[in-house]
Amino acid sequence: MTSVTYFPEPRLMLPMTMIRRERLLPDDVDGRLEVRVNDRVTLRDVVARGTNPAPYALIDGERFFRLRNPDDLAKLMQVQIDELVEADQVIAQRGRRRLHSPITGRVTAITGGRIIIQSIPTGVELEAGLNGVVVEIRKGRGVVIETTGALLQGVWGNGKRAVGVLRAEPEGGLSAVTSDEIDIGFRGAIILTRTPLTPLSFGIIGSQQFAGVIAPSVEPLILDLALEAPCAILLTEGFGTMRMSNTSYRFLDELNGKQATLDAVQPSPLEVRRPEVIINVPLPNVGYRAPMPNVYDPLRIGVSVRLARGDHAGFVGEIVDLPNTPVLLDNGLRVRCAQVQLITTGERLTVPLENLEISGA
Amino acid sequence: MTLLRRKKRIDQFLDEQPTLVDPPDARGNAAPPQDLITSILAVDFGNVHTRGILIDQVDGVYRLIGRAMTSTTAGFPLGDASVGMERVIWQIGVETQRTFFRSDGRLITPEQPDRSGVDLVVATASLGRLLRTVLLGLVPNMSAISGQRAAAGTYVDIVGTITLDDDRSAQDQMNAIVLARPDLIFLTGGTDGGAEAPVMELAQVARLASRLMPRGHRPIILYAGNETLIAQLEALFVEQIFLIAENVRPVLEIETLESAQAQLGAAFDSFSAGQIAGFERVGEISRSSILPAAQSLNLITDYMGRTTGDTLVVDVGSAVSTISAYTRGHVSTSIRTDIGLGHSAAATLKAASAQRIRAWLPFVAEDNEINTYALNKTLRPAAVPERVRSLYLEHALLRAGVRTLLETARPTWTPDTVYDDPNQPLPPFAQIIGAGAGLTETGQPGMAALLLLDALQPVGMFRLKLDPGGLIAGLGAIARVNPEAVVQVLDGASLDDIGTCAVVSGTPRANTPAVRVRITNANGVRETHTVMGGQLWVYPIPAGTSADVRIRVVRRGLDIGGKMRLHLRVEGGIGSGGSTGLIIDARGRPLPLALTARGLAAQIPLWYANVTGAALKPIPEDWLTGRVTGDGDAGDTEVKRVRSFITPPRLRGGLLGARGDESPSMDDLTEERTGNTQARRPTTRRGTAARQPDETPNLDDMFGTNTAQPEPPKGKKPTKGDDDLNDIRNLFP
Repeated sequence: MTSVTYFPEPRLMLPMTMIRRERLLPDDVDGRLEVRVNDRVTLRDVVARGTNPAPYALIDGERFFRLRNPDDLAKLMQVQIDELVEADQVIAQRGRRRLHSPITGRVTAITGGRIIIQSIPTGVELEAGLNGVVVEIRKGRGVVIETTGALLQGVWGNGKRAVGVLRAEPEGGLSAVTSDEIDIGFRGAIILTRTPLTPLSFGIIGSQQFAGVIAPSVEPLILDLALEAPCAILLTEGFGTMRMSNTSYRFLDELNGKQATLDAVQPSPLEVRRPEVIINVPLPNVGYRAPMPNVYDPLRIGVSVRLARGDHAGFVGEIVDLPNTPVLLDNGLRVRCAQVQLITTGERLTVPLENLEISGA
Repeated sequence: MTLLRRKKRIDQFLDEQPTLVDPPDARGNAAPPQDLITSILAVDFGNVHTRGILIDQVDGVYRLIGRAMTSTTAGFPLGDASVGMERVIWQIGVETQRTFFRSDGRLITPEQPDRSGVDLVVATASLGRLLRTVLLGLVPNMSAISGQRAAAGTYVDIVGTITLDDDRSAQDQMNAIVLARPDLIFLTGGTDGGAEAPVMELAQVARLASRLMPRGHRPIILYAGNETLIAQLEALFVEQIFLIAENVRPVLEIETLESAQAQLGAAFDSFSAGQIAGFERVGEISRSSILPAAQSLNLITDYMGRTTGDTLVVDVGSAVSTISAYTRGHVSTSIRTDIGLGHSAAATLKAASAQRIRAWLPFVAEDNEINTYALNKTLRPAAVPERVRSLYLEHALLRAGVRTLLETARPTWTPDTVYDDPNQPLPPFAQIIGAGAGLTETGQPGMAALLLLDALQPVGMFRLKLDPGGLIAGLGAIARVNPEAVVQVLDGASLDDIGTCAVVSGTPRANTPAVRVRITNANGVRETHTVMGGQLWVYPIPAGTSADVRIRVVRRGLDIGGKMRLHLRVEGGIGSGGSTGLIIDARGRPLPLALTARGLAAQIPLWYANVTGAALKPIPEDWLTGRVTGDGDAGDTEVKRVRSFITPPRLRGGLLGARGDESPSMDDLTEERTGNTQARRPTTRRGTAARQPDETPNLDDMFGTNTAQPEPPKGKKPTKGDDDLNDIRNLFP
């Protein structure tokens, strides 16, 4: 890399921050908004509605009635355009010969001797996804919602959302939770666990009606269980058998008992959203406006970073040096690195710049 | 060849291309006249990196002055691609000590007398949602397959195909189009003056489906069929955007893809401008449309091929990889949107298969380890492997991905069928250029050379180069407004020149002399060296110097590009990361990869040591017995007992691994014969797919993306007419 500055990847972990999130309908869905600017919304409030495309039935009336002129079909119609029809309802008739609709739907067009009926489309509802205030409108597409709270971003989610009280797993971990011993407070809660998810974990998740689970990792072999889980699953570290970093666990553990919203977004190249959990925390005073995350500054000495890979993945440290010349790694790559001093042990490590993340503080 | 002649050639290309998108003037933002352009900034937007280059005149000649790279900012948290562009321009300013921004943050343009600012900004991109396209063609093995090949060279996702022999009813065909919600309908069919009624029948289905879609979501129609129907179809689709390209099959025996590819590129350009946050601002600053990077690649590869010799460019990105080849008078570009080292790492694993990746690993690796590594790379696409084991995984993914990409690309390279067989050697190239961070950011030119040699397995003699700054992409955009700059920059050694490579074909015996080299360096000092079979050898030649080189193949059955003796002058390479000079690859072709992990452990670390000059790093015994699993970089290394599947080697040929009668053939191991070419039906909906035992989890489910690829071409490509400088194809819109 020849650049003289480096902008690290943000993976936010903030005890109190302003949060703005855009909520948009899929770009191939026509929609209408259900809210206005300054409306207060909660996680499950519908902010926009749209319709998915629905299949059509193409009925050849010209052939059915053996018409010489396809335009004559219009005179035989028993229903009009935009009219709702039921399956088997008579839609055209010539003498005793009756043409029935094959589906329930809406008459869309009568053209060229054919009748086109669209089946009832399924609706798309766009939920707010967090508790907050609508601050911007994206006409026909969605809204921008603003809120304040503690925020932790993960790396993967199973595409579901949840709201509930954040509860750290009991001593002994998830496997200690059984139907006989279940603390009623775990039902409907978002459970924090520091150990990788296992098939046993998913069995417990399925039976104990958790609203969501925040875990460090899951093995690819059982990824389907995460996708099929009835609740939202958010991973903080990645795939495999990694444990949650102490920093992340302590951060969330200190928020134990607080109301949280979990948006376990599935990542993709064009997905702007990140899988994250937002926890309600009391404002220090009325009217307090939390700062936005700091994601604009390049790396510099003194910045706190999180190591994303290697033996110390998840550890937090401070940058003590940023050499301009690339460093030769053990594996033979020669890349730009930072010298990072770990907070917990004081150990100094050489870490490629691309393997550092910032928390946004 | 003089500069003037080369400029005339690229001018010739440009003058004869029909304008298929609005030129800058039509937008009301006129680009300055060519003779007033002295400085140009070119910015390329990838999925992970945004790269920029500055070109300026030095003593009246355009030269590459500076370059920079930063993270792409289209995604979280900034959600604005233009921020990345500003950062990269700012970094170039720091590097070149020039000012590009006013105090209010606006870009200074044109360049001022105090040398602040820049005359022109151009942009290219390879990020963005693919153009969802439904393909309509008459016959599957004719117009439809030609349509697929055209689409393979652009950022298009074919979400449905309808042909005349489709047994679905008209209703089902119509619904297939409507429910696919395409951005574009690509209609092909009929030779010029040939079939009309069947083409109109397909067009009627497309029209009916389009009219049933909401007005704001009606697809673009691209027609590349029987030219006699153009007027009728224009009238039929009067309410939609209707693009016309040359017939992809003007006659049965000829296939013409470039015009359709150019139009698909133009459609993608106008589509992506509305999809990527910040691209509108980029368009305002650049005063022109954002060119798809693949089109840029195609244009410059074509030019380099015509002027300096057959050229191969391979760009391995995070989400998308592209190969562009000029060979035997013809340029062809192929894109795979499911091959990449970052966002598409898991898709690459699926496309190439764990078995083909394992073929490059010098240790025992279970599918789970490979899968875990690939999946974690999708979560952190820019991450750099820190450990030896993860480096091998990364590079195995790269090698297998490129070889899979090559299988897609090769059938389109020439009208002849001889290069259709991926087991046959590559055609000879004069230069091979690698791009993408996985190749260009190793910091070790020898390592980059090894990756290119392994992934492509070229033969003969050629120059190896790297493009770390996105120069080729940028030059393609610059060519439209200042072809002279392109000519001069390419002449000015602006790519990183790794060195000259000579590859021994045949089967050299391990640890036996294969090649003798006598080098007389710039100081007149003579050296001789014997290159042993099964190894590579690197002789550094400092930049700015050259050496007289005599190469002699010493064993029968071996050759370098068909020759036993070579006498040449080798120039020292120039590159920001250094260069190698001369590389002799005496491993043989086809590359004799060992069939066992232990055999690979004897080969691959040695090759890395050969090309980097570093000490050999032997593979720990634990790695060969399967007791160590997991990618240490992800922090999940654990020691466990794993049943070893290594067959005891029955060595014949020593270093190169087992060759017993019961050992699987290379074809079996790498699935090249059974073929990685089965179609995956595109899916348009998310959902939990039914899972077979031992099957890799469905990527669409995991990541909510559609990574499907169209069915690769089957059958033979028809013979094309003679290529001629006057036979100018559409190189760009």
